[in-house]
This record gives sequence, structure tokens and C-alpha cells, in this order.
Amino acid sequence: MKNVLIIDTGSGNLTSLGAAIRKIGFNPIRQTEPSSDWFQKNDLGDIDAIVLPGQGRFGLVMQQLKKIGWVQYLQRAKQRKLPILGICVGLQILFESSAEDPNVSGLGWFQGKVEKILSPKSPMVGWAKLQGGFADQQYLYFVNSYAVKNSDFTVSTTEYGERFCASVQSDNIVGMQFHPEKSAKIGQNLLKRALTGSLI
Amino acid sequence: MSHSINRINNLAPRVIVCMDIKQGRVVKGINFKQLKDMGDPMELALMYEQQGVDELVFLDIAATIDKQKTALNLVAQIANDLSIPFTVGGGLKTLDDVKAFLDAGADKVALNTTAILSPSMINDTAKIYGNQCIVVAVDVLKTSEALQVYSHVGNELTDKSLFAWCQEVADRGAGEILLTCMHKDGMGDGFDCALTQKVSDSVAVQVIASGGASQPVHFLEAFQNNIDACLAAGMFHSKNYTVNEVKNYLYKQGIPVRTI
Repeated sequence: MKNVLIIDTGSGNLTSLGAAIRKIGFNPIRQTEPSSDWFQKNDLGDIDAIVLPGQGRFGLVMQQLKKIGWVQYLQRAKQRKLPILGICVGLQILFESSAEDPNVSGLGWFQGKVEKILSPKSPMVGWAKLQGGFADQQYLYFVNSYAVKNSDFTVSTTEYGERFCASVQSDNIVGMQFHPEKSAKIGQNLLKRALTGSLI
Repeated sequence: MSHSINRINNLAPRVIVCMDIKQGRVVKGINFKQLKDMGDPMELALMYEQQGVDELVFLDIAATIDKQKTALNLVAQIANDLSIPFTVGGGLKTLDDVKAFLDAGADKVALNTTAILSPSMINDTAKIYGNQCIVVAVDVLKTSEALQVYSHVGNELTDKSLFAWCQEVADRGAGEILLTCMHKDGMGDGFDCALTQKVSDSVAVQVIASGGASQPVHFLEAFQNNIDACLAAGMFHSKNYTVNEVKNYLYKQGIPVRTI
């Protein structure tokens, strides 16, 4: 069984995410910090895929990742081509910066910035149709006020007031602005594919 | 103008099913008064998910279950079994209550009386968990003279003015407003679309219409009036309609709902 590391930055409940990972037949491992063992051995531990947290503020999530030493761990995982999935804010921190917390830098793996969406109502809450890429024309559940509007790594977009990235991808690194763990069967399907590196 | 803005967007109007919980069972109230047993919450929740409901709301989950632990266990079970978003509300009095239910796995909490008695709870919850976690439920009664806001499950008249109160809760950090029109509740003759739309146009957050739905056409009327989301209970619990039937009907009528 695949072990999926859920990085817990303490900024939201992860019950549904853990449950969704179990439903697709994987073993969720939730950790607030990397085990000291992993540091000493310069190792990833017995982890097959990683999920970056979907809730909280950009700045708080990033500060936590930096403080706890997750950033080095994530760099190592990236080098070793482990599937890494960022959900919602987890997508946003893959980029360089965010208008939500301009003084905190993101992981910067993807060029670009996170901006406030000029939407009819804010926060955006509900099911929106994706255009392009995997899950083209399917509805996924979104909860956000910020998003990436342009990226070279865009796989699909959606629109609420203006168009923004619904998903981004570069090799085994996938970002989903929507919440697959809250998006019924289609969400579980995408979760499974992202965590096995088989999203096209 | 707002009508056309909504329709060029990819965000689907939402169909939400509400379950009032009493002693661990789903009940249906008529005019906020008489109660009827409608079934087991978990069974119904999974059934509605299968039928393609967009979200679920569980009300009075804490208020009527004596031991909060039992309520929290139910919420944890729902979070574990359900793959769509859900809101819990009713009887959440303190920030600790709110924390307990969000930590147990609820996506959002609905505050009504508590929001009126301690409005700073809205700010406090938003600060910790984000606006998207708070739905403020507003119960309004339209009389020939006035729009009256009620608290305590429709039992106590407050001094709140509807529009000012909705504005205040949005400013304080509510992510959505659940507007129950008490004069429509249990009547079965449709939502108060005019009032809901007026409230929706006056605030920056989505407003969920509640009270009065008994037929698919009632959802059509609401969505044609540019209402973001509609909540119903009895018409689904009584098995008069499935969510799927309502959504297929809406889809055929040109409303871009999520169908399965």
C-alpha cells in the first residue's frame, strides 16, 4: 500500500483529506514535522507521495513549512521525482508570492504570483466547471478568494468573474485549486492519479 | 446586469439539502413547530451524495443531542464517509464549540442566535479558520409592515434590521448567508425569490435561499432570479423528488447545474 504524507501545518482540518486517501486505497500519514530520522539519514522515509495542505493563509502555511524544515524535505522529494500534490493554498505556495501575504515568499517552483480574484461574490464557494486538461468539462469543488491567473504550467482553467488556473502541473508536481477530497467520485479519481504520478 | 455576469461563469448554482437533527434522527418541522421523523442522518447523507447534491447542511446537531461528544462523533463519521462539503449548525455557543465541530471535520459552521448574541464570534472564527468556514443563518419573517429578524429557532424577535444585519455579518467575515424566509417555510409555494435576490444584491457574499421549496420549478424560479444556492429539506426527505430529478429538470431548462 502506498504511504501518502499529509503535511499538517495546523491551519485546517484534514479529516476529509485523510478519509479520501483511504478511500482510494492508500495509507495517509499525517505529520506536523518531518521525523528526526528523515533528517539524519537525509531520507524521505517510507513515503510514496506528498500532499501539501489545502487550508489557511498563504503566509502562515509558508512560514510554518519554513520554520519546521519541511522546505528542505520537499526539495529532496522533488529531486527524487516523488508525486507531490498541492491542494488550494497548497497549489498557491508552489508559486513565488501571493497578494494575500506579499512579504512571504512561496516555494517558487513555478514562476508567477497568486492574486485576488475579482469575483461576483467572495469567497468563491461551490462547484465550477473545468476547461482543458484532465477532467475537462467536469465540476469540481472550489473554496477560494485568491488564485493564479497566468502560468506556463496551466493544465485547466475555470472562470468566476475572471479566468484563473484550476490546475497546474510540471512532471510529478501537480497543483489543484479545487478540493479533490470534497469533489465526490471525480475528485477521488483525480487524487489517485495525482498521487501515482499518472495524471496527463 | 448581475444576471449575465453569473451566467458567463463556470460556477454552478447549488442545490443544498438540509437535515434537522433531533436525538440522532433527521426530522422535518412544519412552520418551525411540529416534527416528523425522516430517517437516519448518515444513510440519508450518503443517499443524497449519490443523487448529486452539491452540499449538505446538518442543523441542530449539537443543540438537541445532550452530550456534545455524541454530536462530535456523528460529525466525525460524516466527515469520514461523505465526499462532498457539509455544514453543521445549531447550538454552537462558544468559540470552543465552533473549534470542536470544525476540528471534528465539518467544512463550515452555521451560526444564528450566537451570531446575534455575540457577533464578534464571526470575526474570531474567520480569523482562525477563514471566512469560508462560517455561514451566518438569518431567519426573517415578512409581515405586511416589516421584515423581522428572529433568533432562537424562530422564537424570538430581535431588533435587527435585515439588510443592515446581513451587511454586518458579511463585514465581520461570514463567507455565506443562509437566508430562511419564515413566512415561506413549510408552505411549499416556492422561495421568496424577490427578497433573497434583494439581500444577495446588497452583500458581497453568496446568499442561500431557504424556505418554501416543494417542487423542482421552485429551484428554477430562484436560479432564474440569479440566486446562488437553494436549500430544501422536506421535498427530498419525503421522497417526493430525488436531487437528481430536480437537477435534470433544471439542466433541461437551461440552468447550468452540476449533474451526475
